[in-house]
Amino acid sequence: MSSREKILAAVKANQPEELPLPDVPDFTGDGSLEKFTTILEGIGGKVVPIRGVTHLDVVIQELFPTDERVASTLMASTVLVDALTPIEVLAAVDVAVLRGEFGVAENGTIWLPEANMLNRALPMITQHLVLVLNHEDIVPTMHQAYAKLGSVGDYGIFLAGPSKTADIEQSLVIGAHGARSLTVLLV
Amino acid sequence: MTNVFDGFKSQKRMKVGLFIPCYVDQFYPQVGIATLQLLEKLGVKAHFPKQQTCCGQPMANSGCERDAIPVYHNFVDTFQDYDYVVGPAGSCVYHVRKHFNIIDQTPQVEHVRTNTRELFDFIINVLGISEIPGSFPHKVGLHLSCHGQRGLHQANESEMTPVRDGQLKRLLTSMKGLEFTELDRNDECCGFGGTFCVSEAGISARMGQDRVKDHVRNGTQVLTGGDMSCLMHLEGIIRRGKLPIKVMHAAEILNGAIL
Amino acid sequence: MSHSQRSDIFLLDAERTTWHDETLWFVRQKRDKAVYALPEFQDLRELASQIKNHTLSKLDFYLTQFEEAAKRNGVQVHWAADAAEHNTIVLGLIKKHGATRVVKSKSMLTEECHLNPHLIKHGVEVIDTDLGERIIQMREEAPSHVVLPAIHLKKEDVGDTFHIHLGTAKGNNDPQQLTEAARQHLREKFLAGEVAISGVNFAIAETGSVVVCTNEGNADLGVNLAKVHIACMGMEKLIPRLSDLSVFTRVLTRSATGQPVTTYTSHFTKPAPGKEMHIVIVDNGRTKQLGRPDFRASLKCIRCGACMNTCPVYRRSGGHSYDFTIPGPIGAILSPNIDMRKHASLPFASTLCGSCTDVCPVKIDIHTQLYKWRQVLAEEGEIPASKKWSMRLLSSVLSRPGVYGLGGKVARQGLRFLPHGLTHAKGYNPWAIARELPEPPKQSFREWYNQQQKNS
Repeated sequence: MSSREKILAAVKANQPEELPLPDVPDFTGDGSLEKFTTILEGIGGKVVPIRGVTHLDVVIQELFPTDERVASTLMASTVLVDALTPIEVLAAVDVAVLRGEFGVAENGTIWLPEANMLNRALPMITQHLVLVLNHEDIVPTMHQAYAKLGSVGDYGIFLAGPSKTADIEQSLVIGAHGARSLTVLLV
Repeated sequence: MTNVFDGFKSQKRMKVGLFIPCYVDQFYPQVGIATLQLLEKLGVKAHFPKQQTCCGQPMANSGCERDAIPVYHNFVDTFQDYDYVVGPAGSCVYHVRKHFNIIDQTPQVEHVRTNTRELFDFIINVLGISEIPGSFPHKVGLHLSCHGQRGLHQANESEMTPVRDGQLKRLLTSMKGLEFTELDRNDECCGFGGTFCVSEAGISARMGQDRVKDHVRNGTQVLTGGDMSCLMHLEGIIRRGKLPIKVMHAAEILNGAIL
Repeated sequence: MSHSQRSDIFLLDAERTTWHDETLWFVRQKRDKAVYALPEFQDLRELASQIKNHTLSKLDFYLTQFEEAAKRNGVQVHWAADAAEHNTIVLGLIKKHGATRVVKSKSMLTEECHLNPHLIKHGVEVIDTDLGERIIQMREEAPSHVVLPAIHLKKEDVGDTFHIHLGTAKGNNDPQQLTEAARQHLREKFLAGEVAISGVNFAIAETGSVVVCTNEGNADLGVNLAKVHIACMGMEKLIPRLSDLSVFTRVLTRSATGQPVTTYTSHFTKPAPGKEMHIVIVDNGRTKQLGRPDFRASLKCIRCGACMNTCPVYRRSGGHSYDFTIPGPIGAILSPNIDMRKHASLPFASTLCGSCTDVCPVKIDIHTQLYKWRQVLAEEGEIPASKKWSMRLLSSVLSRPGVYGLGGKVARQGLRFLPHGLTHAKGYNPWAIARELPEPPKQSFREWYNQQQKNS
């Protein structure tokens, strides 16, 4: 008997009588831009309203004047990134400018699917991450978020702010291994 | 909610057995006396059946609940003919209500388990009295015993809500001049835990010392609560530290303060 | 050594105990704040509990559904009956790819299986990339908490460790600078990583996805740069539907640290083109626990650590006092299933205050299970003989009113008339180490009552 068979047999023998799977109510809440912005800023994210994406390069230049290596799906890139980009090139990216699909007001998180990433490692390996988000694409809670998603594709992340850690005596440090900063450009 | 002096008529017909925990009986008889007298002032003449000994918790918590079965039977035999069994100890009452489930659930056992009530729960929910007029002009540190609070739901738990309300708090609030200490930690365990106080002596002492320090820091003059087990442990630490805090069971406060 | 013996060592440094206790209490307070702010939190706990109860009652179905879905996604699924098999499988996959450089994000399961020593023994470099885990890896210590592995360390300790291992300046204890040094050091490891091992917070049966929650982004960085992803999971991590994640993502981090959600909530469903993804499903005692009706609910655990943060005993004794991969209240109900003798002291390392049960996001009846394990341990003969016999004696006294009354009188009289030095001798009276015994009254309550009755 393989381990698989042994384990499944033991599970079948030991599990209790079936208990019901509950229906999860659609808990809703404050889905306002104000709430989303307050929460996101509270967790270290920066929120910048912009007029549109036509002059994104100007906005990025203003926000990151000294950073030259920019990879983006939304504007002219100085570093071309795709799924096959070598690691050394990825590691040198200063700023990645990508599109966030939607935000969740209760916790400031943003859905970023693989299709919007150029390369799966890009959102984490870049020093600074910029997500362009439509201000109307905010849902109140994770219930609406997962309902809206339907599928999580091959790879996708909910990203709430810049990477962080408090592993050294509970002191919060922004910028752990992922991006040092998260800027959300609201269109 | 009714006043002390209403409802005397219905209360006179209730047959109430007084359950005095073993350590209260032996070491804090004044708490038993206060309980008896307080109930009488509220219109209930409780009777103390001498056959009682203990609820069996010390043995059960040590893993020997099988050995406690004769003690459980003695408890049920003692109290089966009373309408209510009232005890000034949330810990013991909780044990009867929750852990007497291992003996055969005869009608007598079920009756005793259902109708064994903690003193302040009895006063508020059976007698319907939530105000006891009196005077107690002191700063009172209320110690919420874990079994009373989390076990019997006699007070709100800080794990659930920021609201700090409970049965004993409500009763004590009616005391004129009484000011409650605002503790840094509302309901952390005192560390007594029965045999825990000797099997994990270091942690138990440390927990008790920390609770006492919280009271000292925040100005408690009188430390009170509904469980003499917690209070015995905290008092032991207070007396070792020669601290100016008086420890009283809340039954003593309410009984002594009735004008 | 028992828990109380280890605790005694921990308690020797009273100031450090205060610091440890206050640090974890602070985390509990952050959790409280988040919970108070969410009106439906108690409803979510109930739902999370029911979803897990249901899953455990149909676990064979969900395991096979998960495996089929994962395989359809091109993911390879392996089954490990125990820790040794898990380690063999993981090492085998690494060797198959001729890899020697492995990066690992947080996985208590791999700690439980002692994976790292096994890999190292076979010539594989394995770097823990979670900052707290990396710190303790450098110090050759075990994690002391499931979420905050280095919570027992002060920044001075970390500063010293980084000075030795990373060449940071001696005496530099600034968390910002130390984190930056770790970022640079670990970035090299990420870039060179050939195989990435991750844990699994939630495994979604209907889609075959594994979900990993981190604040640092180290799981994603490691996995997305490496060629092979090995996700190691305890078989109880399953939840039925993607939509169930709405409940769990709302209660997990609020319970753990008071944050509304982790920075990264990452859903790995298919490997990137040209890369490989493996899932190792591990039993290692879980089916045995599943077969224990009183204790199977402990398998609902989502490893949030809230029970540790609230436990007054854990806060004053530290995770290492439990000598088990998972410490604290949840550890005390998981460990006797694994080794009853070794962990016999753990269910007794508690006052049964019930705070753990109150904070558990999946409503595990922890304090009730602690009580029930005590009964099992006593029946199996795993409690000290002295305790067993003194409880027998106590029971025979307390079931006989006459004997009890007399015994009490003797004790009180003894206390009144024996000298304090004798009654409070710390050598044989543990109570008296830190406390005074109660003042012995002249009469017991029953003696007073009898007298009242005679007089009336």
